[in-house]
Amino acid sequence: MSTNWVFQGRCWKFGDNIPTDALAPTHVMFKTPQEMAASVLETVNPEFPKKVRPGDILVAGRNFGCSSGRALATKALAATKIGAVVAEQFSRTFYRNCLEIGLPLMEARGVHALVNDGDEVRVDIKAATLENLTTGKSIQGTPPSPFLLKMLEAGGLIPLLKSGKFAAGDFAGAARR
Amino acid sequence: MNMVEKILARKSGQKSVAPGDVVLADIDLMCMHDLSANFVMKVFEHEMEGASIADPNKLAFAFDHNFAPATREAAEALAAVRRFAKKHKVKNVFDSGCGSLHHVIMEAGLVTPGMIVVGCDSHSPIYGAIGAFGTGIGNNSMAALGFTQNKGWFKVPETIKIHFHGTPMKSVMPRDISQYLVGKLGEDGAIYKALEYAGPYIESLEVNDRALFPLQAIDVGGKCGFVNPDEKTVRYVQRLFASKPSVPEFEMLANDADCRYAEIVDIDVSRIEPQVACPPTVGNVKPIDAAVGTPINVAEAGGSTGGRLSDIRALARCLANRRIHPDVRLQVVPASRDIYLAALKEGLFETLHMAGANIFPPSAGSNQAFNMGALAEDEVMISTQARNFPGRNGHPKARHFLASPLTVAASALTGKITDPRTLEVQ
Repeated sequence: MSTNWVFQGRCWKFGDNIPTDALAPTHVMFKTPQEMAASVLETVNPEFPKKVRPGDILVAGRNFGCSSGRALATKALAATKIGAVVAEQFSRTFYRNCLEIGLPLMEARGVHALVNDGDEVRVDIKAATLENLTTGKSIQGTPPSPFLLKMLEAGGLIPLLKSGKFAAGDFAGAARR
Repeated sequence: MNMVEKILARKSGQKSVAPGDVVLADIDLMCMHDLSANFVMKVFEHEMEGASIADPNKLAFAFDHNFAPATREAAEALAAVRRFAKKHKVKNVFDSGCGSLHHVIMEAGLVTPGMIVVGCDSHSPIYGAIGAFGTGIGNNSMAALGFTQNKGWFKVPETIKIHFHGTPMKSVMPRDISQYLVGKLGEDGAIYKALEYAGPYIESLEVNDRALFPLQAIDVGGKCGFVNPDEKTVRYVQRLFASKPSVPEFEMLANDADCRYAEIVDIDVSRIEPQVACPPTVGNVKPIDAAVGTPINVAEAGGSTGGRLSDIRALARCLANRRIHPDVRLQVVPASRDIYLAALKEGLFETLHMAGANIFPPSAGSNQAFNMGALAEDEVMISTQARNFPGRNGHPKARHFLASPLTVAASALTGKITDPRTLEVQ
C-alpha cells in the first residue's frame, strides 16, 4: 500500500453500468477471496482475472458496481490486489463498501475517455487526480470528504474503529463541507 | 427538512441536518437474508474479536435465497446462521420458505414509521413506503457498527421529488409506472440521492403498491426512496397489528412545507404504456412494443418486486380458464407465507395450476438463480424480478426481461412477449 496515496500502474478499462453480479458472481460467493479473484469481471473481460497484476488500476465508466449491494464485490476486486479503482461515477453501495474495506477509489468525470487499456496511469487519491503517463493527459476528480479519507487511510471502517480514532467530531456539523 | 432529513436528525440527536452532512445515527432494525446474514456473521466473528451484539432484538434474518438448500455449501451457510442466531439470542429468524426478505419483515410488523432500517442488500429502501428510512449498507458497517452499537454512518442525501398525476390506462400496473421512472431518470439518474414519490397517483395507491417505487430506487442509483406517511400508512400499520394486543407507538415524520429539492420531475401516468426492462440492464426500459413477439422460455411472478398477493391475483385474472403456451414454464413464487395462504384460500393457486403454472414455496424465487431459475444459453425469461443483468440467471447469454405481472401472464399465455392490453382480462 502506497503511503502517500499515489498509485501507478497499468490501466484496465471497463464500460458503464458494470454490475456487482460481474464482480462477484453467485457461484463464487462462498469461495475464498483468491477463488473469487479468479472470476472477478470474467464475463465482461475474460483476460482481466487471468492477467491483472498487483498495483494495476481499473478505470470504469458510469455507475460502476450497480445491482446488488453485495459487499463481496469489493472484496473480490480487492483480492486481485488492484491498486486503485477509478470511475466516472460509482454506485453508492459500491463506493461505500470500497471505503469500508480500504480499497482506494476516485470519481472523475471524463476519465473514461482519457484512458485506453494498457496505458500507464498514475492516480493521486488525496489530490483526486489521474495522469495518463502514456498520453501525457490528466484529469481532476472529486476529492473524498475528510471522514471518508480518514476511513480510507485507516485501511477501512473496522481498522478505524479499532484505532480509537473514530470520533464524534467526524459527524454532522464537524463534517459539513 | 423532509422526512428523511427529519429521521436522520432525530436518530443522530440533532435539531437539523442538511444534505452532505455525515451523521452517526441509531438504527432501529437490521435485516438480512440468508446470504448477507452469513457474510456479516463471518465479518463479526473473524474481524470483531470479543465484540458482543448490542441488542439482538434489533436483528432480523429471513432466509429467502434458499427455500430449501440444494447444495451442501448452502446448507452449511444456513446452519451457520441458525447457530449464530441461537448463540446471540436473535429471535427474529424466519427460516427457509418464509418468503422474500423485506416482504417478510414488513408483514411481521417489525417496522413502523420514523424508524431507521438497514439491510445489506440494495432493496432495503422499501421501508420508505411506510414512512421509515431504509437503505443498504455493507457487511462491515453492519457487523462493526450495527451489531455492536446499533449505529450506522450515513451521508444525508439530496432529494429528487417525483410528482405523479393522472390515471393509468387499462392493464397498466404500478410496476409499469415504477419501471417507466427508471427508464426516464436513467440507471445513474439519482446516484446517492433520496427519491420522494408524491402526487395524486401515489396517494391513490395502497402501501403494498407504493412499495414498488422505493424498491426500484436502487435502479436509478438512489440511496433511498420514500412516500410521506398519510392515513393509508396508518391504516396499513394498524392492520399489521390487528391480531396483536396493541399497536406500538410510532411517530409520523413528514416533510415541512418549505423543504428543498435538487430536482422536481413531473410524470403524467395516463400516458404510460406497459414497460419492459430489456436486457442487459435494469435501466434499458422501453414501451412494450420494443419487445413484443420475443419468444420466451420461462415466465415468473416472484422476487423482491413481485410475488405480492395483487400480482398473483392479476396472474389468475389473466389466466383463468386458459392454458399457457406449451413451450413456457410459468413459475409463481409468493413473497410470504401469509400471501401463500391468502392465495390458497382465494383459489388462485387452483386457477394457476390448471393454467399450467408451477407454484413454488415463498422465497426470493429465481433471484440470482440461487433456489431455482437458472437459464441455459440463449434461453429467455420474462419476470417481475428486480434484476436482469447478464449471468445473474445462469448463462451470460441468456436474456431476462422485467415486466408487470399482467405482461408476464400475457406472455406466458402466448409464448412470446405480449402486450396485456391485447388480451381480454377478467
